[in-house]
Amino acid sequence: MNMIEFRNVTKIYDDNTAALKNINLVIKKGEFLFLVGPSGSGKSTFIKLLIKEFESTTGTIHVAGRNICKLKTGRVPQLRRNIGCIFQDFKLLPNKTVYENVAFTLEVIGKPSYIIKVQVPQVLKLVGLYQRINSFPHQLSGGEQQRVSIARAFVNRPPILLADEPTGNLDPTTSDGIMKLLSRINLIGTTVVMATHDKSVVNSMRRRVVELENGEIIRDQKRGVYGEQ
Amino acid sequence: MRARYYFGETFANFKRNFLMAFTAITTVAITLFMVGLFSIIVYDVLGVLNSIKSQVEVAVYMEDNISDELRVYLEEEIKSWDEIEDLRFISKDKALERFREENEGSDILKEIQGNPLPASFEITLRDPEKVSQVAVRFLNKDGEFIEGIDDVIYGQNYVDKLFSIIAIVGTIAMLIIIMLLLATIVLIYNTIRLSIHARRKEIEVMKLVGASNWFVRIPFLFEGFFEGFLGSLIAGIILYFLSKFLLIRGEMALVDTMRIKDLAIVGSGEVSVYIYVGLIVLGVLVGLISSALALRRYLKV
Repeated sequence: MNMIEFRNVTKIYDDNTAALKNINLVIKKGEFLFLVGPSGSGKSTFIKLLIKEFESTTGTIHVAGRNICKLKTGRVPQLRRNIGCIFQDFKLLPNKTVYENVAFTLEVIGKPSYIIKVQVPQVLKLVGLYQRINSFPHQLSGGEQQRVSIARAFVNRPPILLADEPTGNLDPTTSDGIMKLLSRINLIGTTVVMATHDKSVVNSMRRRVVELENGEIIRDQKRGVYGEQ
Repeated sequence: MRARYYFGETFANFKRNFLMAFTAITTVAITLFMVGLFSIIVYDVLGVLNSIKSQVEVAVYMEDNISDELRVYLEEEIKSWDEIEDLRFISKDKALERFREENEGSDILKEIQGNPLPASFEITLRDPEKVSQVAVRFLNKDGEFIEGIDDVIYGQNYVDKLFSIIAIVGTIAMLIIIMLLLATIVLIYNTIRLSIHARRKEIEVMKLVGASNWFVRIPFLFEGFFEGFLGSLIAGIILYFLSKFLLIRGEMALVDTMRIKDLAIVGSGEVSVYIYVGLIVLGVLVGLISSALALRRYLKV
């Protein structure tokens, strides 16, 4: 089953710079895909198009078989509830505890509190932060904060997880832990798309690699590496 | 469950962002206090001026030798005019009687022999501003008084000045109130926008995890509502005590020293309830609308 499908997608920003040019790409359910390339190659645009933060200029994008370009503004929240997002800067809310940060996702989508009380501790155990449940983000290390953001993205069990440079601010050992966590989430059946320019992470995982340059796909490899040295 | 979330979130935000909320409330309170204070003062001043205005009368003095027929004819004629609200006939005897009452114990009475006072009509008008038009009706084409009329007195200069003062005071007051209101709206809007700006990350995260726009909006609208309400309530309370213990006393003293006893002091009455209600409605509306407008930018994630 095709989880994500880009057909002839082009994105041109208001200032006439083309971020993506005629992208065709199919990502199957349960795949783990690295999106690599230098800064400005279009990785972030790719991810932002998927959560409809931007609209594509031409072409169609299908998520789980649905054309999201035709999605009405009012239905965008529904789309985002099925896509977990992780960011380089974590985007945790500084004045909420670990528990509240994760529970927030569920509150926002209107889950009843008895479900929140069960699911939040569960996912925090999965990411290994159950003992830090009442800490605030500033009391945690970078790796721990990224785990919280993964817990937040995954607590609702979305079929797709998007990660935009999730290891960008972390040291190699910590990155390793994060990657193990993402692999586990992928093993449960979640489709994971990760934009990165962290060479060692890509090379150690040996998963599908799609390389972008100036908004075009220049390489698509199964079990790939970051790039020629 | 939703309602509980919204309320919980509103008050949690109040607590977490106490300084911002405090700033917003203070801003609302101070600006609306200014608006209210000025409104009350203007209201009173215009009230006093208007009560003077409503006392404007036209006195029409008749010639001493006027015949009864002519007098009755004039009375009927004047009564038929549209501008006239009431007409009282004061006979020579009544005029003397009244004069005696007003000057009781005074030497002047001893000097009076016979009855030198003329009979008159005292006319009150539906619209006191038409007083000069009415006065003109007692003149014939040559600019002389019509038959049987000796003089018409309504204090031309005094009345005309009064009316132009009322018009000027009213216009200036209107302009100042409008400017104050604009300043109020801009200040409150900016304060609320700042407090929302401080929480843009929260809004961004909410939108990214799939919150609907209304879900994000409602706690902020609640907050804007409460900030507007609390601020205007504080403004109203301060204003109430200020006007009760200072303003009204000041006005009474002023009225006393100016020896204009019969004038109503309006600000002290129930009418000023409208000012308080108006302040609170204004505060709540500005709070709500500011929040809604300020949010628009941040909801576009």
